[in-house]
Amino acid sequence: MIFLFIGLPLVTAALLPLIGKISKRVLPDLLANAVFLLLLVLATTAGRQVISQGPTFKQLSWLGEPVGITVAVDGFSLFMLMAISLLTLCIGLFSINYMERYGSKASYYALLLMMVAGMNGLVLVTDLFNIYLFLEVAAIASYALVAYGLEHDELEASFKYLMLSVIASAAILISIAVLFGMTGSLGFAAVADGLRRLDARFVVGFCSALFIMGFGLKAALIPFHAWLPDAHPSAPAPISAILSGLLIKVSGVYALTRIFFSVFGLTPALSQVLMYLGAVSIVIAAFLALGQKDIKRLLAYSSISQVGYVVLGIGIGTPLGIAGGLFHLFNHALAKGLLFLNSGSVQQATGTRNLEEMGGLAKRMPVTAATSLVGSLSIAGVPPLSGFWSKLIIIMALVQAKEWPLAIVAILASVLTLWYYLLIQRKAFFGKLDEKWTAVKEAPFWMTAATVILALLSIGVGLFFSAVIKSWIQPASDVLARGILIALGSWGI
Amino acid sequence: MNSTWFLYMAFAACLLFVGIYCLLTMKNVIKLFIGIEVISKGVSLALLATGFVKKNTLLAQSLVITFIVVEVSLVATALAIIINIYRHTKSLDIRKLTKLKG
Amino acid sequence: MIWQIILLSGLVLFSILAILSKDLIKSAISLALASLFLGILFFQMNAPYAGVFEISVVAGLITVLFMLTIALTKAEGDVRESRLARLVFPLVFVVFILIDVLVMKGLLQKVPALPETSEPGAFGDVLWKQRTFDLIGQLAIILAGVFSMLALFRKRNKDE
Repeated sequence: MIFLFIGLPLVTAALLPLIGKISKRVLPDLLANAVFLLLLVLATTAGRQVISQGPTFKQLSWLGEPVGITVAVDGFSLFMLMAISLLTLCIGLFSINYMERYGSKASYYALLLMMVAGMNGLVLVTDLFNIYLFLEVAAIASYALVAYGLEHDELEASFKYLMLSVIASAAILISIAVLFGMTGSLGFAAVADGLRRLDARFVVGFCSALFIMGFGLKAALIPFHAWLPDAHPSAPAPISAILSGLLIKVSGVYALTRIFFSVFGLTPALSQVLMYLGAVSIVIAAFLALGQKDIKRLLAYSSISQVGYVVLGIGIGTPLGIAGGLFHLFNHALAKGLLFLNSGSVQQATGTRNLEEMGGLAKRMPVTAATSLVGSLSIAGVPPLSGFWSKLIIIMALVQAKEWPLAIVAILASVLTLWYYLLIQRKAFFGKLDEKWTAVKEAPFWMTAATVILALLSIGVGLFFSAVIKSWIQPASDVLARGILIALGSWGI
Repeated sequence: MNSTWFLYMAFAACLLFVGIYCLLTMKNVIKLFIGIEVISKGVSLALLATGFVKKNTLLAQSLVITFIVVEVSLVATALAIIINIYRHTKSLDIRKLTKLKG
Repeated sequence: MIWQIILLSGLVLFSILAILSKDLIKSAISLALASLFLGILFFQMNAPYAGVFEISVVAGLITVLFMLTIALTKAEGDVRESRLARLVFPLVFVVFILIDVLVMKGLLQKVPALPETSEPGAFGDVLWKQRTFDLIGQLAIILAGVFSMLALFRKRNKDE
């Protein structure tokens, strides 16, 4: 049943071009969104099972014989699956209206479903090489989706993204080859076991460096971020949302965390490296965001900054820090997805992404302005929205670990984040209504529906944060905090 | 690990270096693509050499074959992007392509 | 051993030629020859399946795709490459080789490894039974590639 997470999007994507020939509009929309809804339902039922029974480890069998497909769902994978299904459903809904002008919705939904299949696969596997494989599935789909509009900017951004991504893949594979050479196997449990029997501190350090380079490039950590400020703005708005909200986190942060915690084990040196990398990303990206006039480029730099928070939280290594990091991952996925979708609404209504040209849109697009306000305040960390709690937990964890300078950096950067988000709100939505925009209308139904759902979720998670943390984030951070022992134990070995 | 492994890895590192040098310095988009191909060769060599030294060639071959399939898909996508770039700018020069700043 | 060093050197040599050559078609052919050397090397390493795949797919299919793209993009005038990059390359390469050899020599015996276990079974078993997930992944990759091509080559009817 768990295999449906990968199988269902795959099969639907394969069928979509045929369906697209029959009906150009209604059927692809209906089918794709139905699949997303199903995945969400599946995630909730799997969630209930995992939380009550503990981690699941499924080996598929074909005609009675066990086939070599093993998928494992533990607290961490479940958490990512929920985040992926929630955000993808809203993005699917948004795309119903937004992708009208790009044409050929069947191939768009097919690529989107492939990306979801890739991300789900990445989260569920138990093998180093399979992580790379599903990472590439999602990546290839994303190259095509970034270039979807086939305009000059988009092609340039996509090509740059592709080139840097290839270097990342090479780094990851070389590291996998070295690990394979040392331990003779590729599964998480086997490699962890093998590494504990050898004393290979230097080589593990080398492999960790390669993994940080490879996955850090996928997660757009500074200094590997060069592709993101071009790729995310140029892509169509729902794709920017899924890239910023999910792909950089699943293929970057999740993969890195899974390998470092479940295979290598977090050493103090590694913890320091991750924390400082996170802190550097937070600060530099926040400063770079200040000078931007293009709304989507500003949001893109903000993504780099917030992923820095996530890496900082996870890098602390204590259960509190990991919980804070994961919670922030989820909140940022919702809020940044929301903001990018709104930027799409604004772009569709006004035809521009330049903040200087906008003004006073709140009068004509009240729902968009309100949801945008919710999203901005959530990321900036204003109570009682969800982002406040996650940042608070990260800062508390830093204080608890006696990392005073990093705590101060996190607090100050949060102030900076609040500043530039209020700037967006002021320039785009509030203020005097420019005469150019007197004729704009609110965004169409599905687009507003999607953003309202995300905004309500941000508010809801913020109000009920303790329940959310206890039921859902706690299992995930437990899995990571106990590291290798959990990995070996839960997978029945 | 015995010295054969280091010999193969040394050559794989050379291939990676040549590929990355190409990505850094060449201006023709198709040349950049040849650079990516060279990097892929380096990676396949590294994977198979590791398997060979561990006497585990069957597993390594599966990995290399899967990696080659990934490479083909990547080449197809990239060449599609390149052809679209050509349709837009009527040239293969990456300097003519770069407009996005900052 | 000597045979493998010859093959490896041929591989690296043709890759360098592919990069430095001015004419795109010569580059593509050098790349194909490099793939050929790599394929023969794979045969030498008791990896016949990988060798066949490498030669038929990389030296065959990808070269054809390259030629197709080169034919479709006959540019007006050539792209002028920076001459400095091509002249500086031999120097940088020699420096890199020195660093490479020193690093590898230094790491000799420093990389610990579990003892090798011999592998039972045939290649088919390993690919189909042990690494079945890879096959699902390959299917997904092929689908993703096909859909990208469909999306990137679709007919623009409205805005263009």
